[in-house]
Amino acid sequence: MSQDTFGRSRRQFLRWTLAGGGSLLLAACGGATPAAPTAAPAAPEAPAAPTTAPAAPATGVSELTIIWAEWDPANYLQELVKDYKAVGGVDVKVVQEPWPSFGTRVFAEFAAKGQAYDMVVGDSQWLGQGATQGHYVELTDKFNSDLNGKALAPATVTYYAEYPKGTGKYWAYPLEGDACGWCYRKDLFEDPAEKEAFKAKYGSDLGVPKTWADLKNIAEFFTRPDKNLYGLSIYTQKDGDAITMGYQNTLFSWGGEWGDPKTYKAEGVLNGKLAVEALDFYRELYKFVPPGSANDFWQESINHFTSGQVAMGMNFFAFFPGLANEASNKYAATTGFFSNPAGPDGKSFAALGGQGISIINYVSDDKKAASLEFMRWLAKDDVQKKWAELGGYTCNNSVLQSAEFLGNTPFNPAFAETMQKVKDFWAVPVYADLLTISQTELHKFIVNGEGTAQSTLDTIAKQHDEVFKKAGLQT
Amino acid sequence: MPKVENVAQARTLTTARMISAIVLCVLFLIPVIWMLMTAFKPRQDVIAVPPRPIFQPTLEGFVSLFTQRSTLTKIAQDRLSKDPTLGWADRLMLERGLKIIGPSKYGQRLTNSVIIAVFSTILSVALGVLAAYAFSRFRVKGTADWQFFILSTRMLPPVVVTIPIFLMFRQVGLYDTHLGMILLYTVFNLSLSVWLLKGFIDEIPREYEEAALVDGYSRWQAFTKIVLPQAITGIAATTVFCLIFAWNEYAFALMLTSENARTAPPSIPTVLGTAGIEWSAIAAGSLLFLIPVVVVTFALRNYLLRGITFGALRQ
Amino acid sequence: MARVDRLTRADTRHGLSDDTLKRLFLWPTLALLIVFNIFPLFYSLYLSFTDYSAIANKPANWIGLQNYSELLNDPQIWRYFRTTGLYVFASVSLELLVGFGLALLLRRKFAGSGIITTLILIPMMLSPVVVGLFWKLIYNPSYGIFNYLIGFPAGLGPDWLGNPRLALWGVVIVDVWMWAPYVMLLCLAGLSAIPDYLYEAAEIDRAGGLFTFLRITLPMVSPLLLIAVLFRTIEAFKTFDLVMGLTGGGPGDATELVAVDLYRLAFPQWQTGKASALAYIVLVIITGVSNVYVKYLNQIKQG
Repeated sequence: MSQDTFGRSRRQFLRWTLAGGGSLLLAACGGATPAAPTAAPAAPEAPAAPTTAPAAPATGVSELTIIWAEWDPANYLQELVKDYKAVGGVDVKVVQEPWPSFGTRVFAEFAAKGQAYDMVVGDSQWLGQGATQGHYVELTDKFNSDLNGKALAPATVTYYAEYPKGTGKYWAYPLEGDACGWCYRKDLFEDPAEKEAFKAKYGSDLGVPKTWADLKNIAEFFTRPDKNLYGLSIYTQKDGDAITMGYQNTLFSWGGEWGDPKTYKAEGVLNGKLAVEALDFYRELYKFVPPGSANDFWQESINHFTSGQVAMGMNFFAFFPGLANEASNKYAATTGFFSNPAGPDGKSFAALGGQGISIINYVSDDKKAASLEFMRWLAKDDVQKKWAELGGYTCNNSVLQSAEFLGNTPFNPAFAETMQKVKDFWAVPVYADLLTISQTELHKFIVNGEGTAQSTLDTIAKQHDEVFKKAGLQT
Repeated sequence: MPKVENVAQARTLTTARMISAIVLCVLFLIPVIWMLMTAFKPRQDVIAVPPRPIFQPTLEGFVSLFTQRSTLTKIAQDRLSKDPTLGWADRLMLERGLKIIGPSKYGQRLTNSVIIAVFSTILSVALGVLAAYAFSRFRVKGTADWQFFILSTRMLPPVVVTIPIFLMFRQVGLYDTHLGMILLYTVFNLSLSVWLLKGFIDEIPREYEEAALVDGYSRWQAFTKIVLPQAITGIAATTVFCLIFAWNEYAFALMLTSENARTAPPSIPTVLGTAGIEWSAIAAGSLLFLIPVVVVTFALRNYLLRGITFGALRQ
Repeated sequence: MARVDRLTRADTRHGLSDDTLKRLFLWPTLALLIVFNIFPLFYSLYLSFTDYSAIANKPANWIGLQNYSELLNDPQIWRYFRTTGLYVFASVSLELLVGFGLALLLRRKFAGSGIITTLILIPMMLSPVVVGLFWKLIYNPSYGIFNYLIGFPAGLGPDWLGNPRLALWGVVIVDVWMWAPYVMLLCLAGLSAIPDYLYEAAEIDRAGGLFTFLRITLPMVSPLLLIAVLFRTIEAFKTFDLVMGLTGGGPGDATELVAVDLYRLAFPQWQTGKASALAYIVLVIITGVSNVYVKYLNQIKQG
């Protein structure tokens, strides 16, 4: 209700300011002003209680629009949904927005309560905002019945669909599973001379690393600046979320956490001993990257790997199809893939990427119903199987575990293994504030060597707690 | 000082100027030349260590720019390579493990850029020259304040103005329209246009107009026949600056347009493919995008460099 | 001043009167600017006193000066302002030096001078986003051409964008490369306005080169030069897309300019109210700096 008042007052304010000059301008432009595409904003709804999509079959909806980032999986989705025309009689269009502006674009649409898109394939972090700010349609009632939720890998349900975590409320269907993994150069790893030299130096066999300590040894071993060869490439990008994602791989594997998920307290958890060790370790890894790696994300990691500069590369699985193809990677025939190794206590976790598909709350009820109908089709086992065949990363466990899927590509076994051990950053509505803090502080320490691991994590924990307090999450 | 020596000295000086100008020009252009080379480089040569100035040119970058591609799995690639109906562009992309799945939106966005940039530049220069003349020649109440107001419209960081403008555009139906972007860029350029042109018009001595008025010219005639031709350098420079701004603007275009009126700059960085950064496509896109502005600047070259010519008139 | 009066009251025997003409000339511009700026300006001012988030679906709560006090008490913001100040000062003064130098070199025509001048303008015609992206490739210590040309073997030269001590300079170099031509073009226009007889007179008086430069060239060119510097200062304060493309504000926060931080507040974080407050702080600073320039500009014109 308060929303209503504000919505109206904002519009009044607009009208008021535009009344004088605006009419002048519009008069000046005359008939040239095109009709507003979405002139009337949707009737404001109470934010905390978005309506649940009615289950009735869609009537009169002939087109649905999905917005996603501009990348291959979106192309695969466009390919997949061609089949839906025959089944549901609806044209589904996948609009692709470039990665750097994807989030801004979608949230700007939310801010305007726009009806341009019916569904969004959104980041796992967006769930908090989608759920609490009323942008997403709640799918709790339909999740297990209509959306085949039981068939999904449990971790993917937690991270791509549920908010708040542990409450059994669902807001998305896990569409594109993704997580960090590694690619490596088999030709280097299996070279007898290298194997011998490695054994002599480290006393163990050169091979796919079982522990993070092994991985570091291998990285050190292959770092040969005179030959333009370096140990590995890792995520270090400052803007966005890359360096945080990269560090999470060691943080979680060491047994560390961002904070207590129940009390939203970071102090005492994030700056604990395990997290500090994990951060020191990540900074150690930064010694073995090629020069000019201070701002690396997936694209730079691919570049380092395909130019033969590194022996191993950290990356999201979504980018491995290109590496397994000789046309885009000249080392493809001898490129292997592995899942994150284990930390000191034998634990192994991987930072989560990937997205779930949600229905946008500002579209008409008919559109909501039609979208739900489409998602019901999308979630079916056989459709998910086709999705995986096209190159999408299904979260459907029966497909993930099938021999066919595992044999499909050289990286699918590592992917199936990884999806059972994923963990994610906070998905609370203020996640972006938390991320800005961790990005800046981690970058200062890992790249610039400012301060210590302990002081870095102390700072992040303190500032995260402030954000939680301000957002009313911490009591 | 003997005259002959002076002439010889002047000639040496000119040669020295010429040589240093050429050297500096080359220095300035190295990144652009490198961009030109990158546009024609195959992927592996772009990231070769050390940098590779000699390479086998390819059109990969340009094909990437105008098409939408999808990464192929090994099996799909083998299957597709047997297709006899493939064109040369398809084959070229296939060698890189990509399948062309349709045209990109680059062409349409380039058209949008042309429409928006051309109209907003004309508007901002036309309005700017009128306002600048008024500020320069007439007594305007609160002239300093008005001028500072005009300047201040350029001071708010665009990132922040975008949210109110976004809401405003949504409300009045200007969101994602060409008209909206034309007006917005005009507004944004007006501050530069008014200030710059006022600077130029201030330099033109009033005596000419006075003489013309005495000779029976109307004020409007004096403006069009005397002042405008004198201010041509300023008009040309302002046109170039306004065009460059409207042509390259990124932040507003990103927020205020989507499918209908989106311009090219927000789409150039999008050719960051899933198989690493597609430098050649980025370079190709930037170069193609550069051509129209370079053409306009070259066309206006003589005006730009003619200078303010009242010196000649005065003699 | 008396001269102006004489002119304004000039002949109105035929055609439109000066007053009508003045209104017709001024109002389209002023109306457009008012319509497009008043709402954003006042709306953001209002928002800067609230906790509004454009996406939160919640009403804006009036929180008084809280945003401002939070920002002004944040040591990080002050660091970003210092970085920005250094950046603006370094890039604008270098642009002034390089641009003016180029203009002096190119002011007298010689064979091909027109072409050379136009070619030098090319960097400023490129889109800042693209320039940022592309210079990242140029600066890369392994496959970039920058270190290669200044003579470092691949991989061993400085990492311009990855070294916290060099990164800001890395960005400044690109900014100067892009915008020195802008200053050059305006200086050229100013220089060409200087009548030759002034120089001839100086020569007859046996005036030295430095004297001629200080007494004739500089004063004559300074109005346009100051406009160039004024606009460059305003734009440099707002530099955002270039830095995002080059460093993303890193390494650490070595190149985190205020405009970059402002972007983070406004977009990924959607703290619309706080971002508006920061924007107003920036606006006040830019207004202050511009005022100094404008005063100086007026002094020169009157002097």
